[in-house]
Amino acid sequence: MSKNWRNTTAIFLTVLLGCVLFYAGTDGFRAFTAESARTYKLLKDKPKFPDVTLEDSKGRVYSFSEFEGKYIMLTFIYTSCSDVCPKLEMNLAEVYSKVPKAWIGEDILFLSISFDPARDDVDTLEKYRKAFESDGETWRMARIADQAELDHLLEEFGVIVIPDGEGGFTHNSAFYLVDRKGYLAEVMDFTKIDEAANTVVTTLKNDTGE
Amino acid sequence: MKQTGLGIILYGILVIPPVKAYIESIMLLHMLVQLPLLILAGWFIGDMLIKKFHPFFTAWNTDGVPGMILVVFITMYWMLPRALDEAVSIYYIELFKFISLPFVGLFLRDSWKKMQTLGKSFIFLNYLSMFALMAWLYIDSPIQICNNYLETQQKVLGWGFLVITIWMILYLLQAVFTDHSEKAE
Repeated sequence: MSKNWRNTTAIFLTVLLGCVLFYAGTDGFRAFTAESARTYKLLKDKPKFPDVTLEDSKGRVYSFSEFEGKYIMLTFIYTSCSDVCPKLEMNLAEVYSKVPKAWIGEDILFLSISFDPARDDVDTLEKYRKAFESDGETWRMARIADQAELDHLLEEFGVIVIPDGEGGFTHNSAFYLVDRKGYLAEVMDFTKIDEAANTVVTTLKNDTGE
Repeated sequence: MKQTGLGIILYGILVIPPVKAYIESIMLLHMLVQLPLLILAGWFIGDMLIKKFHPFFTAWNTDGVPGMILVVFITMYWMLPRALDEAVSIYYIELFKFISLPFVGLFLRDSWKKMQTLGKSFIFLNYLSMFALMAWLYIDSPIQICNNYLETQQKVLGWGFLVITIWMILYLLQAVFTDHSEKAE
């Protein structure tokens, strides 16, 4: 195959270059889609949850910093969503039921944040809350009324929301766990309920020292 | 020289911002029109470059294998769903696209004619199976693979890949069953 040393050298170099390209392009063969790359990057950066103002299904208005001292299990949704969000919320309900009662409300809160504040007003959120039988206290449904705050949060947490032109949105979904100080601790696959519940329980166990 | 001019014009059209934005807004056009056209532009531009740097190409790409390895790696990279996604959202990936793909065309032009039939067949079959895999991946995927493109666009792209795969199979069949003895002599 080698007609001269230059050609042989070039073969080695190009193979090496190719491998470097793939290594760099996939975060060391870990992330082949932008979504997995996003999760990988989020877990490396561990961004702080911006101090946004929430308005929940009970009409209460408060800032996110009020949750300081508790873990927050988060999802991003919009209520008129017909495919992913109901699944996401149903799975979140299952995770909720798998976390020991003693911790709920004390050490951890569940929160579903709507990124469609125009349609998801207090009444709509309340209906949605009832549909998933959340208590509105330890599992809250809330919107962020201020569009600038919302956009900043979505950007920080890498949530990409694209209007689909028919009143809906296409968006990536995951469970997010924010720690007691407000920093992102985990991003979990929302389709793997047991795995997510395990992660949450283990994190709390380590943290509370039980 | 005529071809080189054509290549530069083609490249120039592809980098015009509105053209670029429109093509990239549709997944099928992005992957199956923009990427191949960038390669084609490089192929045309290569006309002059290969002649001008003939000693370099003869020395370092004697049997066409090094060039072909680059072609395979770079095109495979651009078939990662992630690469396409990031080209839209990260500027340096976009820049890399507009630089790396013309080089693919250039190296392809220089390497293809130097390679032997066995090597060519291997490359052809490699791409055939890769395109079939991409078709299956994009049509069958129940989830959205790219964050910047909708699932329906993903399916359309999958069908696009399937059409290419079928063409390649048809080409292969006619190549096997037609008489090449005249050409060989």
